[in-house]
Amino acid sequence: MASIRRPAARGTTVPRFGLSEKRLGQVLFGASAAILILIWHLWASTNSPLISPTPGAVLQRLIEYVGAGRANQHVWITVQEIAFGFLLGGAIGIGFGVLAAEFDIARRVIMPYVIITQALPKFALAPILVIWFGFGQEPKIIIAALIAFFPLLENTFLGLTSAPAEMIELFKALRASRWTTLLKCRVPHAIPTIFSGLRVALMLALVGAVVAEYVGANKGLGAQIIVAQGTLDTELMYVAFVLLTLLGLALDKLHGLVYRLVMRRLYGKGAATAADQQPRVSV
Amino acid sequence: MPSGHIVVDGLSKVFPSQAGDITALDGIDISIDSQEFVSIVGPSGCGKSTLLRCIGGLIPPTDGEIRIGGDLVTEPDPRIGYVFQKAVLLPWRTVEDNVMLPFEIGGKPTDADRAAALDVLELVGLADYRRHRPGELSGGMQQRVSVARALVTNPSILLMDEPFGALDAQTRDTMNVELLRIWDESNTTIVFVTHDIGEAVFLSDRVLVMSARPGRIHDVIGVDIERPRSFEKVEGDETFWSLRQRIREELH
Ligand SMILES: Nc1ncnc2c1ncn2[C@@H]1O[C@H](COP(=O)(O)OP(=O)(O)OP(=O)(O)O)[C@@H](O)[C@H]1O
Ligand SMILES: [Mg+2]
Repeated sequence: MASIRRPAARGTTVPRFGLSEKRLGQVLFGASAAILILIWHLWASTNSPLISPTPGAVLQRLIEYVGAGRANQHVWITVQEIAFGFLLGGAIGIGFGVLAAEFDIARRVIMPYVIITQALPKFALAPILVIWFGFGQEPKIIIAALIAFFPLLENTFLGLTSAPAEMIELFKALRASRWTTLLKCRVPHAIPTIFSGLRVALMLALVGAVVAEYVGANKGLGAQIIVAQGTLDTELMYVAFVLLTLLGLALDKLHGLVYRLVMRRLYGKGAATAADQQPRVSV
Repeated sequence: MPSGHIVVDGLSKVFPSQAGDITALDGIDISIDSQEFVSIVGPSGCGKSTLLRCIGGLIPPTDGEIRIGGDLVTEPDPRIGYVFQKAVLLPWRTVEDNVMLPFEIGGKPTDADRAAALDVLELVGLADYRRHRPGELSGGMQQRVSVARALVTNPSILLMDEPFGALDAQTRDTMNVELLRIWDESNTTIVFVTHDIGEAVFLSDRVLVMSARPGRIHDVIGVDIERPRSFEKVEGDETFWSLRQRIREELH
């Protein structure tokens, strides 16, 4: 007799080896991570520390580095660049997204610029931005903003224009103005789409800020990586990698928090919202 | 002229299309009295929804005109309540806030408006669910919310496009009985599109039978069954069965 096994729905708890799916996932993740770290350790031990420090050495250096307060200013500088770049790029992306969605003529004018700026490799601009703005934070913010803006423009446009035709017809039947339709129909409908744009934009802003720091900076985690490269301090490089990863995770967590808050507000507590169905890293 | 009175005069609707223009409606003439209950039946694609959209002022006629209470229809009329084939509720709003939508769009809702929303939710039997989101309701309940939203402004005319098409037979029966009660209590003109011949006969004063390609009124059938109607009474009525039979034959 053929037995049909159905895959369990996401998030449900089907016991396996006496463990819930969630718990089992955590155990498997922990075990595989331990194996990977062990492989790293073995590989690093047989090589020069110049190639790669061991996990233990990185951890020790990280504690030292952070403990001595040396991480603070670099993390803070990079966070500021990410935040300002994200806010600037996000605001411009959402603003133009709304304009493009609402006015055909605006879309026709905006879209060619969008395509051109997307075709242009933004990081290639970093050197000229350094010439214009110097070694401060401005070029990093601009690069971060330039790459953060696109997913927001795209997702805002998509979210606003994808409100179901019958919803728009309902608003027409109720004699709603264009403005009311935007505010009470298109915008709430676009919120989840805009938030997934925000998530991508946040990660891109991080990459933008760090890579821009490579080009010309004396502060920030990206700058630390370049310094470490110059002094062949591989350990410090790893420490910066770890800090950047933690920073990325923290930003994503923050995004998830705000997203869930907004979705609760929109769709209520009881409803299974898109917020909870979106795959997310939890640490 | 009573504001529930609808006159459709020589209405034609052509949709231009690259594959050749589609004549959805061709020379439709109908006159619907105030507080009348009229159903429209006809094969798929014969133009029932298009006719309703024209009456509702959602799309302009290609030819002919529509008058409501004597006024030419050029845009959606505030005296009309529209129930679409799908419930079309805003998932981010509670049931109550969905029903309040017509008031919010019209301006700032008053306390009287809020009371009206509660009243219609009571009427459709969903007052207890007013704080829930549509996603937490069954399909039938959602459809009743959309009926409540159409009723809340106390419209003179209710246009209903296959409102119960997606419901199971039992829920549909319940909704039919409730709809007749609501109609009775609210003095509304109802134009009701359906694929279900029995439903059309059970509910209506008159049934318009349409034919397809191009969409025309094929026949108008008066339903002489005494009101108030109930399933028990109507199903024991000879007229009900003979009208059903006649309409079924006309549709073939
Ligand atoms: N927006 C539109 N653009 C082009 N053609 C359309 C449009 N709306 C309807 N039509 C055409 O008009 C005809 C009538 O459509 P309509 O939706 O009114 O039919 P219907 O009687 O409501 O059908 P059903 O019972 O399947 O809902 C169809 O042939 C359809 O293709
Ligand atoms: Mg239809």
